[in-house]
Amino acid sequence: MSDVELHLPPDVVYVGLARLVVTAAARQSGMDSARVEDLKIAVSEATTNAILAHQRVEVAMPVVLAFGPREGQFQVTIQDTGPGFDPPVDDVDGRDWTKEGGLGVTVIRGLADDVSFVREKGTQVNMTFAVGFEDNGNGRG
Amino acid sequence: MELSLNHRTEGEYTVLDVGGEVDVYTAPKLREKLVELVGNGHHRLIVDMTKVEFLDSTGLGVLVGGLKRVRSHEGTLALVCDQERILKIFRITGLTKVFPIYDSLDEALQSEA
Repeated sequence: MSDVELHLPPDVVYVGLARLVVTAAARQSGMDSARVEDLKIAVSEATTNAILAHQRVEVAMPVVLAFGPREGQFQVTIQDTGPGFDPPVDDVDGRDWTKEGGLGVTVIRGLADDVSFVREKGTQVNMTFAVGFEDNGNGRG
Repeated sequence: MELSLNHRTEGEYTVLDVGGEVDVYTAPKLREKLVELVGNGHHRLIVDMTKVEFLDSTGLGVLVGGLKRVRSHEGTLALVCDQERILKIFRITGLTKVFPIYDSLDEALQSEA
């Protein structure tokens, strides 16, 4: 099945819309509600980072989300065309908590089953979530 | 998407009830509220997140900012949260070690006193 694409203007008002649309698609694919909550937060984090990346360099082009089910998993790709960033190394214990930003990547890594960051003409975040049948053991997925 | 913010006094504490969704779009309103409360001398804060429907790391950052502000006045900032989906991101980010987090407002008021 082809992915659905969502092109969002780089305005933070659309982060809520991204959450709504991606989680609706995930529910439709059979993802259980607890897992949808994880997906919702991860999508919010990655979309926020992408939109802010465009705003920082005043790029008016849309941020592009592509998402859909794939072999028992749900995959989300979020592409921006900002200048990119090096995803921070997770060090929760050694982290300077007085810094307000920079927690988003830690949250994504903590929630997604798999995540990769690709830097080419911007940053592409690829996140994979099991559709979540492992909890109820009905053997699907 | 709405964010509701209401504060009241409980003894020596100021309780800020937060409801709705806290993300990059709404978080500035929460930040402004915390700045206003601390600026008006409310240095012992309890942020009640029982009615929060969504919170991501932007919201966490604002709460960390609030904690820094009250601590600069030797104050405290405790959280009330009983929702696993929200507690989870506090654990992932290590912020459970930074904020006192209580299951209920009563527990927060008793423990913080």
